[in-house]
Amino acid sequence: MPVAAGRLRSAARTQPTSGPATRGGPAKGPVSQRLVRAVATLAVAAVVVILVLYPLGRLAVVVGTDTSGQLFGGAPVAEVLRTTVALALAVTAAAVPLGTLAALGLARSDVPGRRVLRVAIVLPLLVPGFVLGYSWTQAYGRGGFTDFLFGLPWRSVQGPAGVWAALVVSTVPVVYLLVAVGLAARAEPELARAARSSGAGPLAVLVHITLPLLRPSIAAAAVLSVVSTLDSFAIPQAMGGSGDFTTVTMAIYRRLSLGSDPAAFVQALALALLLVAVTLVVVVPADLWLGPRLRATRGAGPSGPVAVPGASRPHARSTGTGMHARSTRTAMSRWISAGLSLYLVLALALPMVALLAAALTPAVGVPPTPAHWTLDNFRSVLNARSLAAFGRSAGLALLAAGLLTVLGAAVAVLERRRIGRALAGLVTVALVVPGSTVAVALLISYGRWLGGTLLLILLAYLAKLWALAHRPISGALDRFPPGELQAARASGAGLAVAVRTVAARPLAPALLGAFCICGVTALHEVTMSVLLYGPGTETLAVIVLNSAEIGQIGPTAALSLLLTGAVLLPVLALWPAIRRLRTR
Amino acid sequence: MTSTSSSHSEAAPLSGGSAAPPDLLQVRNLTVRFGSVSAVDDVSLRVQRGEVLALLGPSGSGKSTLLGAVAGFWPPEAGEVLLHEVVVAGAGWGLPPERRDVAVVFQNYALWPHLTALDTVAYPIRRTGRRRLAARTEAASILELLRIAHLADRRPAEMSGGEQQRVGLARALARRASLYLFDEPTAHLDAHVRGLFLAELVARRQATGAAAVYTTHDAEEALGLADRVALLDNGRLVQCGTPEQVYSEPVHAWAAHITGAASIIQPAGLLPPSHPPVSGLGGTDLSGPVLVRPGWARFGGTLPGRIRGVRFRGPDSDFLVETPAGEVLIREPGPPTRPVGAAVEWTLTRAWPLPLTQR
Repeated sequence: MPVAAGRLRSAARTQPTSGPATRGGPAKGPVSQRLVRAVATLAVAAVVVILVLYPLGRLAVVVGTDTSGQLFGGAPVAEVLRTTVALALAVTAAAVPLGTLAALGLARSDVPGRRVLRVAIVLPLLVPGFVLGYSWTQAYGRGGFTDFLFGLPWRSVQGPAGVWAALVVSTVPVVYLLVAVGLAARAEPELARAARSSGAGPLAVLVHITLPLLRPSIAAAAVLSVVSTLDSFAIPQAMGGSGDFTTVTMAIYRRLSLGSDPAAFVQALALALLLVAVTLVVVVPADLWLGPRLRATRGAGPSGPVAVPGASRPHARSTGTGMHARSTRTAMSRWISAGLSLYLVLALALPMVALLAAALTPAVGVPPTPAHWTLDNFRSVLNARSLAAFGRSAGLALLAAGLLTVLGAAVAVLERRRIGRALAGLVTVALVVPGSTVAVALLISYGRWLGGTLLLILLAYLAKLWALAHRPISGALDRFPPGELQAARASGAGLAVAVRTVAARPLAPALLGAFCICGVTALHEVTMSVLLYGPGTETLAVIVLNSAEIGQIGPTAALSLLLTGAVLLPVLALWPAIRRLRTR
Repeated sequence: MTSTSSSHSEAAPLSGGSAAPPDLLQVRNLTVRFGSVSAVDDVSLRVQRGEVLALLGPSGSGKSTLLGAVAGFWPPEAGEVLLHEVVVAGAGWGLPPERRDVAVVFQNYALWPHLTALDTVAYPIRRTGRRRLAARTEAASILELLRIAHLADRRPAEMSGGEQQRVGLARALARRASLYLFDEPTAHLDAHVRGLFLAELVARRQATGAAAVYTTHDAEEALGLADRVALLDNGRLVQCGTPEQVYSEPVHAWAAHITGAASIIQPAGLLPPSHPPVSGLGGTDLSGPVLVRPGWARFGGTLPGRIRGVRFRGPDSDFLVETPAGEVLIREPGPPTRPVGAAVEWTLTRAWPLPLTQR
């Protein structure tokens, strides 16, 4: 199995300019070091088997040996599959151009409000998918914000079109980040300047130089977009759950909800395996094509600001390479700023305001004017059950983030050797396996003993998110110059002291980043939690989902805001620390 | 071809007379700022057709920034850039690079990683509207001219630094510009490849008759290659003149050191009446410091000294001689013939008085 998503995700990191920290070192160290390494390798391998290999293998065996003849019985599998694939392609077709344009536009240094826009464009990543979807229904649906203000309801917001739009909004930040990093890593400013001084205009530079250089990053973003849409559950469930619209993940959820029907359970297993097959159909060829290109040698030269027609040196007060009369460049930048601002208002700000309005409004049909504002919805949801669920969510997220940072670092260190690389590959596979499949696989493997417990949910988080912790740490290790550690050793420091005094600081942002990304993802994870929870083990995200399913609009909106706050606040609190570490 | 004047502010004489050839490039009072930093500060320069001007200065002196402003990569904060006597950049604005009659060779080659050498060289030709086949044919002939036709199908990752720089030069030549800008093109090349590249550059210049501005921090390279040399320090023009002028008549100690090995001594009371006349010091008040280049003093004579250090340089040897006026570097052909600590006598043949207010 190729290390599919690992290579895809590697688009997001700079190609190393030197070998990894320990690569190229002596083949064998002292006996004690070799022993420690062997024990660590065995321990990590055991965890990989428990979390990834055994559950997925068991799923394949159970489905493969089913004799009930009801694997796909009674289910319009072909239609569900067609819907899911069509949705993934449609989302990708819109999100990739939008995210790419945003990255190219925000690479220009003279875009008004650039710093704010660069943060705002990735904010949807911090808004739980379910909350984003639900906020769109409150903003644009019947009785929603636009209906109240302008009498313009978007009737199909709770259907395929709405699901598509919200998934596009949630996918654009991923594309933006991959392309922006690709710009920083691959498209050096001198390459654009060389083209301009060779006679190329801004458009020619974009078409002939910038976009070809970004092709691997854009392709990786497209593949990730397809994979994440195939895997998506929260947004389709929030916006399409009440209609005929069904994706594979929704179908799995519905069949597992029919807990007493053995046939439905088997069908859920079959669908879970089918989803893996569809995902691999996309990922494997993409990996074979992308892998070598993402590792392609960069052009010589120092890294610097991005090579976008119109981009300039960091502190220059003009568009640099794309010099024109001042009025022209300002107009273009203003258009970019205005376009992105409008997009963010429609995609995120208005829906969140609508959500707030719904939370402050006492009942459906009551105008969301200040005269009617009340905190009753917040009071009603701040009960013992939701507070306990919040405690469970926070505890699970913190525990998962801590364990994942350790596991991610372990694999990142071990992957400097062949056996470690195989483990890293397996860890990455779990990331591209849909969450529904991971949950189902764990359920049939350990459900007998751990069904309905928080431990099973924790195992699911660890399996699914391991690669999220591994990739940033591995990237940081790749970028860490081996000479620094060798210089410390040559200056008299032992290995432990050298790591603590020289390596710890440069690696700290990656470790903290891995902790944050895992914590945030775990905090608003719902795809797996909703399949694995039991009485008394609901997470906050599950409570929100259940609240929506019984039609409590005001309380759902209040809970959604609380969940979003629970995600946003820790990130905002930790963000300055990460920035400070990165700039030191 | 070039002016013989040495000036703090202008690189060529003002074209006041009708006989003066038109300037290809004029830089007038140019200032470029990045944030609060003045990378180029009130610099004026002129380059005539067929002339090679070297910008010599240490890292961070503003050479590359000045070159970028001429190329059109960033606009001036103040001042003007004129090409063919037409203003192409003024305060806060500028024609984009593709509309200027210039070609650039970059320090870091700046080859596009996704294009082969042939397509890279064909790129500027294509931008003139030529068809793909015609552009590639012409590009192939340029590669042939530079004796790198065998690289045609290679991408940058498959080439050495020297090969990449030749392809970069070929790309610039394909632009067929009147002015070539070289941004430290040999900075990353080893001595052998650097020699080949510079020889190639001289040959191309003679063939095309185009003008060039060449940035370097290597004095030997600048003096050997350029018709005139402009010294830059902290974004300001320090001196501009022929290589011989900037080497022999530096405006102050910093300019003396940046242009080559320099001994600065205080000759007051050093020279006895019997000492032969010293070229460059006729009628000069000897109370201040003077510059002595390695070739301007020789062993033998009446001045006392003691050897403090010896350095073998291959074709010649340098002797650091401690004298009552300060330390003097004396260069002799061949391997070292005098040991460290030996008492010697020496003669000063030439010197250049420096201003008292040294940098």
